[in-house]
This record gives sequence, structure tokens and C-alpha cells, in this order.
Amino acid sequence: MLRLLEKENRLPEGSEANTKVPVTFYIPGPLRAFCAGSQRVQIHSSPATLREAFEDLCQLCPGIRDRMVNEEGQLRDHINIFVGNEDVRYTGDFSTPLRPGAEISILPAVSGG
Amino acid sequence: MLGELLDHYRVVSKVGEGGMGVVYRAQDEVLHRDVAIKVLSSRSVAEKSAKEFLLDEARAASALSHPNVCTIHQVGEVRGEPYIVMELIDGKPLSALIGKDGLPVESVLRYGVQIAAALAHSHARNIVHRDLKSSNVMVTPEGLVKVLDFGLARRLPILEDASQTIDSPEATGRTTNASSGGLTGTLPYMPPEVLRGEDADFRSDIWALGIVLYEAASGQLPFCGRTFFEVSSAIFHELPPPLPAWIPTGLWGIVQRCLSKEPQHRYQRASEVQAALEAVQSASVVGAAITSEPRGPLTIVHRGIRHLAVKDGDVLLLVGTMKGAFLLRASATRSHWQVAGPYFHGHAVYSLAYDSRKERHRLWASTSSFWGTFLRSSDDFGKTWTNPLAANVKFPEDCGASLKNIWQVCLGRDTEPDTMYCGVEPAALFVSHDAGLTWTLVRGLFNHPHRPRWKPGNGGLCLHTIVLDPANRERMYIAISAGGVYKTEDGGNTWEARNHGIQVAFQPDRNPEFGQCVHKMVLHPARPDRLFLQHHWGLYRSDDSADSWKSISNGVPSDFGFAMITHPRDPDYVYVLPIESDEFRCTPEGRLRVYRTRNAGASWEPLSRGLPQKGAYKTVLRDAMVADSLEPAGIYFGTRSGELFASIDEGKNWKMILSGLPSIVCVKSVIVGGPSVARNSKPSVSPQRHAPPSRKRKSPARRKRGKH
Repeated sequence: MLRLLEKENRLPEGSEANTKVPVTFYIPGPLRAFCAGSQRVQIHSSPATLREAFEDLCQLCPGIRDRMVNEEGQLRDHINIFVGNEDVRYTGDFSTPLRPGAEISILPAVSGG
Repeated sequence: MLGELLDHYRVVSKVGEGGMGVVYRAQDEVLHRDVAIKVLSSRSVAEKSAKEFLLDEARAASALSHPNVCTIHQVGEVRGEPYIVMELIDGKPLSALIGKDGLPVESVLRYGVQIAAALAHSHARNIVHRDLKSSNVMVTPEGLVKVLDFGLARRLPILEDASQTIDSPEATGRTTNASSGGLTGTLPYMPPEVLRGEDADFRSDIWALGIVLYEAASGQLPFCGRTFFEVSSAIFHELPPPLPAWIPTGLWGIVQRCLSKEPQHRYQRASEVQAALEAVQSASVVGAAITSEPRGPLTIVHRGIRHLAVKDGDVLLLVGTMKGAFLLRASATRSHWQVAGPYFHGHAVYSLAYDSRKERHRLWASTSSFWGTFLRSSDDFGKTWTNPLAANVKFPEDCGASLKNIWQVCLGRDTEPDTMYCGVEPAALFVSHDAGLTWTLVRGLFNHPHRPRWKPGNGGLCLHTIVLDPANRERMYIAISAGGVYKTEDGGNTWEARNHGIQVAFQPDRNPEFGQCVHKMVLHPARPDRLFLQHHWGLYRSDDSADSWKSISNGVPSDFGFAMITHPRDPDYVYVLPIESDEFRCTPEGRLRVYRTRNAGASWEPLSRGLPQKGAYKTVLRDAMVADSLEPAGIYFGTRSGELFASIDEGKNWKMILSGLPSIVCVKSVIVGGPSVARNSKPSVSPQRHAPPSRKRKSPARRKRGKH
């Protein structure tokens, strides 16, 4: 079951139960039309990498894939993905490993002046 | 009650019983037909005001007349209990037809389209259903859907059991996770805003429709629980679990959109849901792989956008800008323009087109942003647009290329009404033979040995111009910046560079076989062997189907420029808009002038009356000028500084019809209904030359009346 999280439902960092916490995608406004208007989507399949989590996200919300990556599988130029506070372009792109409970933010880059 | 006469209806038998009351079969002794009568229990309408309100609602709902709406014949009262006389439907409730794995997809779509049509009809008359659920949808043995109980749920108290609303015995026998737990009436169908205590509106019905579609497709309700709290919590916080894999992506996308938590993220009209379901349905019927090429949900229409009311014979201008699209409408007089938009906020719209073949009224737009490039279409003149889940134009995996932009959408010939072409960046051609549903890369051009040596111009390496020979289905031309002109004589299988005579200033070899930076190329259908071309520097004409070119830069202030168009009737007329140079890229001398030849390029004349002639440093891009097909022809162009100019007398006089737009990339003209309408469409009033647009100006008829 995928669930939109309320803040009070989140477990504190480092708690034992944290290992069972799913990873969460934070969805930007332009993509919410493709995931039932949700700001957050949880993946419960215990993905080990960003790629696995992204594949699950695209299966659930099929409109997202072609808006995030091009035909060659590359993240589009002006879109950034952060795992926690780290830009995945510096942590292995889609091979970036995920810990249980990882928070993944999809954000348009700052383009222009 | 049995045997009793209610007005002229004789009660024959009891059909079912629910929370709202009892349903009877009765005979209309005047019209000799069977009807259903719902006698509403005093418990459900205890207050006098509630009863009056309910009767008012039933009377309002009786105005609905639609094949998918159960007709209400009459309302009345017997012993203080209101009753409603309605159409007796021979069928079963949808809830009784749905098995544990759901219905076949075809049935889901067939019933879904009809339920959406019923809602669209009632919403257009300001009636919200408020209690749509699978047990309120009857299906006849012929597959006809009838939606029951429009508007009747208002003011009714929440009931103790879903089965207690007026359901037939078949429906009451059905058990779901939700109803078995003793939950309130139609809680599993209630949207979050209604649970929060807000009043239901049209979007609440669209949520309920999403639940019904989900239920029909899977046999399960999307939001379940054992208690009221669990179900309402799921409605507030959970996403619907994915539908089974065999459900088309397009249908899943529609359900998701209906079940958006926020009403403004849902479809705003039931007609949009109907159109989206029909799109998936038609894709299923023709056997296309809808999982790979779904049309997807329609765009959220931002509130505040003005739309056009369009009729046959109207003139439309489709204006693409770097920040969205606008539509302008005028009657054939072209004296006053209504503006609609912006559509696709923040997306660059490089190409727009109108397809009136096969009696379509379909607009096409290519939209580009950092979220990718998509082809979108609208069958209602911009009120709603498709928004494909997957990109409809994309390079196959083995190409090692990714789409950057769609520069041109081009319709096929009238004799091939389902054919369309797209010119894209990086330079490539795509073709569709199913009216834009699926697209294929034209490999013959993509694999051309010259391709690795094509170089991008300032705007990128783009295939921006597609010219079809109207008389020869095997012959077409394309232009690439900077690759030059290529021609096929075998329907696209093989291509040859056709640039002989076009000189370049940016290579040591001034006459290369290819690599020219063509900005625009046009052909008049009356002279299909002759083409005109605006080069990076230079105006050219070919009289031998592009096999050779000769310069026609005779008297223009600059032969640099982008835009070039033909006249709708005279093949010797061509219009260009000279730009000073590739460095300055503005109109020469700060004067905005269109140049026209009336002798196929032997000489050119400026057309500037009404255009700014001082300090007007403007740029007009390659697709930002167009002619209409009326008599006299209208000529229109848009600038990078967001002004739109028009002439309704073939260029003699101009006026600015709109300013303040984002940077204009393309302008296309449309005669609504297509060429046949255009041929018969004469301006009903003589064009008012020089007259600026003014709402205060009286029409000729008014002026005449004013004299008396």
C-alpha cells in the first residue's frame, strides 16, 4: 500500500523501526498531475538503489518517466534529484545507493539568472 | 401500499427496499406503461424543510433528459411521505455485475463513457449527483447504462449501511470490505473534501466516478477499512493501489486523475473524463498498443483562462510563444479578435497545426520545457488538451539520440488524411499514419551518410521545414539548419541533398553539396515544380523541383531573414521579412517592413503602411508569418517582442492586433471547417481599412439605424 505521509507518522532518524520505513519521493508541482496530486509517494519494495526506486515510481505513476529522463535514460538537464541533501549527480546518478527510509526530492534546477 | 393508486399510478409489486425507502413497480394507468416508484421513508426526510428540499431536487432532476440518466416522471406525496415516479429499468446494478476480479476492460470503458456522459449532461444543468456509486448505476441487457438518483442524496442523513440506500435486492446482496464492516452509506465513494464537511460539487462526482471505474476494473474498492475511521483515513492519506497489469496505462491514468485528493487536480468536467475514456476506448478498438502510446489525461485547465466559442467559417490564429500558446478568433471580416489562453504555461510552443481532414476539428501543439517535449492535441478548440503519459514522439533506443524539440508539425496531403509529419531537433523526421496517435522515425533520412556532418545553427540542429509535393505522393522536401535541403522521390526511403546554387558565407567552399543553413522553404500548390527559399544569407528560387537554385535577392534591404510565405492563390506572390544581419538580427534601419514579390522574385516591394517605421528593431522568426485563404488574403506575423500584426488586404495596410505576448515563435492561420468552408466564406461586411479595433465603433447596421 502506498501512502501519503503525514509528518507525525514519520519515525525518528536512527530508530530501530527505521529499517522498515519505506523510501519516499517528494514530487514537484508539475508532476503531481501524474500521481493523483500527491506531494509524496512511498515505495515499500525496499529498493537498494535510486534506479530501483525510480522504476517502482514509474510503474505506479507512468506519466513521470518521460518527463524525468530522455530516451537514452539520462536525467533531463534541468532536473535534479536529491537523496537526502545530496545531488545524485555527485553520488552515482541512478546507481546511488538508498538506505531504508531515504527521502528523495525531485526538483527543477535553478536555470538562468 | 400494494394495489393502491398514487395519482394515476397503480402499485403492483415491491421491487426493493433501502435506507431511503421502498421501491415499487407500478402501472401508469394513463399511458399504460410500467414505472418505478420510490416512496421515501419518513425517517430519511424527517424535517419538513428537508422534505421540501428533496422534492425540489427531484423536480430539478426531472428536467434531465439523457439516454444514460434514469428519467424522473413525477414527484408527489402520499400520507406525508414523498414519492418519486421514475423510469422502470430492466437491468442489473453495476455492483452486481462486477466480479471479484472486475469487468473486462472493454466493459469498464463502455460503461465508464456512459456514466461520464450522464454526469456531463447533469453538470451542464447544474445538478450534482452527490451519491454516485456502482449500485446507483443500472446496466440493461443491451449494455445501456442508466444512472439513478441524481441530486437525491442532498440533505439526506448519512445512513447506517451502504445497502440501505434505495438499492434493488441484487445490490443489497453484494458484500464488500467496506459494507461488511457496517460503515456508513456511501463512505467509500466520498471524496476528501466532503469528508471534511465541504459541500459536494461537480468534482466530487468525478471522484466518485473514479471509484466506480476502479471498482469496475479491479473488483475492489480503492480505499478500504474495517471501520469508518480506517476508510476515511485511507481516503485522506492513501494512494489507490495500482490496478492489475492488464489494465491499459491510459485507463489507470484517468482513474488516478479522478482520485486526486485536491479537487483542482482532478478533471474539472465530466466531459473531459468522457473524452479521455473514449480516447483509450478508440485506441483499444483499433488494436493499438495503448500501454506504449496512451493519450493520457488531459491538461489541467487553469482557472481564469478564457476559451473561444468557435463556429464554421471563423478565422483563427494559433500563436505559439516561448511561454505558451494563444488562440485568436475573428469572423470572416477579421475586424475584431478575441484572445484565448495562455495554454501550456511556461512551455515553449514551437509548432501548432489544425487538422480538419476527415471532419476533424483537431488542434496540435508541440510543447517543450525542461520536463521534455510532447505533442498535445485538442478536439474542442483548446478547452482541453491531451497530455500523453509517455512521450509520443521519441527516438528508438538503438539511435543513441534524444528528442530536444519538435520544430514543425505538418499534415499529410488531403489524399492521405491520417498522415502527419514532425520535424524535430536533433534533425530528424517522424511520420504518423494514424492521425498522430503513434509516430515512427523516418530511418531513410536519419541514416543518411551526411548526418554526422550536419552542424547546428544558432537555434540548434533542427529539421524545421517539411514541404510536400501536392501532386506527387512520393516526393517531399525537408530543410535542416544547418544541413540544407533534402529531397525524396520514393516516399522517404532515400534522400538526396538538393542545394546546388545556394551559396554559403560560413565555409571556405561557397558551394558545398550540403551544410546550407536554410531558414525557410515554400512551394505553391499551383506550381509544384517551383520552390522559394530564404537562406541564412540569400533569397533563392528553384524551377526544377530543387535540383538547382538561383538568387532572387533583387532589391530587398537585406537578404538575411527567416520568415517566408506564399500567397493563397497567386503562385508568383511571395512574402518575406528582411532582417539586417546574422549578428544584429533585427529589422534594417529600425523599420518594420514586409517585402513582397509579385513576379516570382524578379523584384520586391516594401509593405509598411501601418507598421512602425522608427526605432522598430524587431525580429520575426521562421514560422511566425502566415497567410489565410480568404479573399482578399490576410497576412499575419508575430515578433520576438510579442506583437502580432495583421493585414486583411494582402499587405497593403497593417495594424497591430495584439501586443504584450511572450516572444512569438510561430503563427498559423485556420479557417474553421477547412478549405471547403473557406472557399464559401466571404466577408459579410467590407473590411474597414485603416480602422483601428475599437469596441465603441458601431457596426454598419447600427450606424444606419442611428440616423433615423
